[in-house]
Amino acid sequence: MVTWNMRNKSGEKDYFKRFVRWKIIIIFLVLALILTITFAVTIGPKQIPPMDAWKIIVKNIPFLGNLVGDVSTGVDYSVNQSIVLQIRLPRIIAASMVGVALAVSGVVLQGLLRNPMADPYVIGISAGAALGASIVIGFGIGFSFLGIDAIQLMALLGGLITVFVVYNIARIGPRIPMLTVLLAGIAITSFLSAIISFIMITLGESLHALVFWLFGSFTLSSWDNVVVAMPFIIIGLIVIVIFSRQLNIMLLGEDEAQQLGVDIEKLKKIMLVVASLITAVAVSISGIIGFIGLIIPHIARILVGPDHRILVPSSALAGAIILVLCDTAARTIMDPVELPVGVFTAFFGVPFFLYLLRKKKAIAM
Amino acid sequence: MVKLNINDVDCFYGSVKVLENIVFSVEGGEFVGILGPNGSGKTTLLKTIGRILKPQIGTILLDDIDVYIMKAMEVAKNIAVVPQDTSVAFDFTALDLVLMGRNPHIGFFETENEKDIAISKKSMELTNIWNLADRNVSELSGGEKQRVIIARALAQDPKVMLLDEPTSHLDINYQIEMMDLLKELCKKEGLIILAVFHDFNLAARYCDSAILLSKGKIASIGSLDAVLNKENLQKIFHVNAIVKQHPLTSSLYVVPLSTSKPETVRPKNLTVHVVCGGGTGVSLIRTLSKHNYRLTTGVLNVLDSDYDVVSTLGIPVVSEAPFSEITEESHRANLNKIDNAKAVVLSNTPFGYGNLKNLEAVIASLEKGVTTIVVDKTPIQERDFTGGKAQALYMELKDKGAIFVKNCDHVLSILDTLESKIGK
Repeated sequence: MVTWNMRNKSGEKDYFKRFVRWKIIIIFLVLALILTITFAVTIGPKQIPPMDAWKIIVKNIPFLGNLVGDVSTGVDYSVNQSIVLQIRLPRIIAASMVGVALAVSGVVLQGLLRNPMADPYVIGISAGAALGASIVIGFGIGFSFLGIDAIQLMALLGGLITVFVVYNIARIGPRIPMLTVLLAGIAITSFLSAIISFIMITLGESLHALVFWLFGSFTLSSWDNVVVAMPFIIIGLIVIVIFSRQLNIMLLGEDEAQQLGVDIEKLKKIMLVVASLITAVAVSISGIIGFIGLIIPHIARILVGPDHRILVPSSALAGAIILVLCDTAARTIMDPVELPVGVFTAFFGVPFFLYLLRKKKAIAM
Repeated sequence: MVKLNINDVDCFYGSVKVLENIVFSVEGGEFVGILGPNGSGKTTLLKTIGRILKPQIGTILLDDIDVYIMKAMEVAKNIAVVPQDTSVAFDFTALDLVLMGRNPHIGFFETENEKDIAISKKSMELTNIWNLADRNVSELSGGEKQRVIIARALAQDPKVMLLDEPTSHLDINYQIEMMDLLKELCKKEGLIILAVFHDFNLAARYCDSAILLSKGKIASIGSLDAVLNKENLQKIFHVNAIVKQHPLTSSLYVVPLSTSKPETVRPKNLTVHVVCGGGTGVSLIRTLSKHNYRLTTGVLNVLDSDYDVVSTLGIPVVSEAPFSEITEESHRANLNKIDNAKAVVLSNTPFGYGNLKNLEAVIASLEKGVTTIVVDKTPIQERDFTGGKAQALYMELKDKGAIFVKNCDHVLSILDTLESKIGK
């Protein structure tokens, strides 16, 4: 009765080809990131030749440094060295970390909520962080802790406290209905925005500092930031990659995912905690950079497909590349005036995204 | 052999009780149909068994272990679910989706290997969709998608399959193909299959037994004959139906006739006696009963399809044993019924020696002055199997002033006129 269809055009061998393709995509993106970083290090008020920049970087990596031959030790070299190591590199690394964190959190939240409109800020992190920052700026608090600026610390705390509140508002016993998380996040965001608006009105002179922070900027970034943020973001990324097969199944809806053996409540909890944590860390470094967390996942999905096992790493790399490029533009285009990086992420990213969207539509038709 | 016990289960959505006192057990190799009207709790029952909706009272035991104590992964190795509808938010290929069925068998840090692909391929070949492996699920038709989901369930390599209307989007050929496949797996591999059906005939053909739900309770459970009968259909679904064994498939089949909602229209005054037989009275009787005429019939042989209709609709009938000649006794009873009628209608019946008395009864009514209508579609020569006797009686009818008409509608219009006269 069962007819056997022998038209085996795809074949199971083809299936494994995708893993090869994924590896190629990752290698390509890693190379692109290295190239981007090289470009970003060399460009600025003082141009530095790419080879010199790399020599300086490699020279300062323990062990590896010994392999590089003797480099010229002129005055120019030491100037370049301090520009690369003290000014540009920490900022570039911070930007790529933030790009990774925002893009990956975006992927996770869009997947968990099964909603393409979701981004890392949808559960209230941005508003909480902004409130933290505006309190510091508004009341002129100035302190630092472990080399971290008060604004950054308060932004981190604000973001995490807000997510904690949203999470507990939405939680029913052990279950976390994602739709309630979304709605509670939106409601809390509106509430906090009202408080922030109020603080802004009372600010006066320091208003500019807050607005600048709200648009997002890497001017404050230092090696201290990178050292504190990096472990969180790298571990977070690894955890998300480990769960990426489960995230795929989650796209079928919670009931079906559970019936396919996914412990959905555990998955939701771990993913929400990880995504919130890395987003809060990112926001504390850079302020609220829009667009990366919303549109990088979509761009990556159009280019590499919906499978989280490739989508997560390629979004991470693409997020890093694009944010480094945008930050480079932000600090060089109107030099010496620095622009908020958020202006560029939207200005360059949105047209590119719309182009891909159109192209995909044309293919589909 | 796998065993599934549902012990005294009560389920709630909020404070609304949706399942009450559900008790039954199933063993491997059994194919059980779940029937019931909309909102009777069929899907909820599957959700409860599938570890989605925890019952407030009672337990679901799979081989004596409570599924709500088992881990999701463990349950998914044993129970596969085919939901009514699946929506995929982003573009996965059909093969990707089927491979997700392998999830419970793949370790946490592992990825799918050749064996998983081979099993998925086999499942897709069984459901006849291997040629769609590379296609995006969002581009597939409803029926193709349903077969992808069935393939995914098969790839889970389960001991229990829960299907919620597994063939609702399928063409008839695939319906039969899928059901044959499931039945075969059920018997060969000793699977338990629990499936919700809206189509009684499909359920009757494939299920070993059935559970009939009504308002969250089991209204009837057991063999198909015990569950799928006229009384239950009437009580639970409020339909009058004929339930018979099909001569070819030897499974039960159900033909719904009419809904049996309480009559809102007052029955008419006119009592009409219908003389029919050989299935020629079916449409006539249905039309007249739909227009609320009080009907009587006779004489009909039991097993005649006219008899089925009449008895289903609860119309008084003078009956005769199957394939027997009309006896003097039933003839008299028939004449009695005719005496109480204001009109007699003779359908386009074929006549043999067995039912010639019916024709005589009609002539008798005509002689008593009762309005007599004859439906004369097929020429009498072609339906006279008595060597001319019936023809002669038929001529007599014409001579004595019976009204000859061509179809039911004419009968109805004549009766309506008569009714309005009597009404005044």
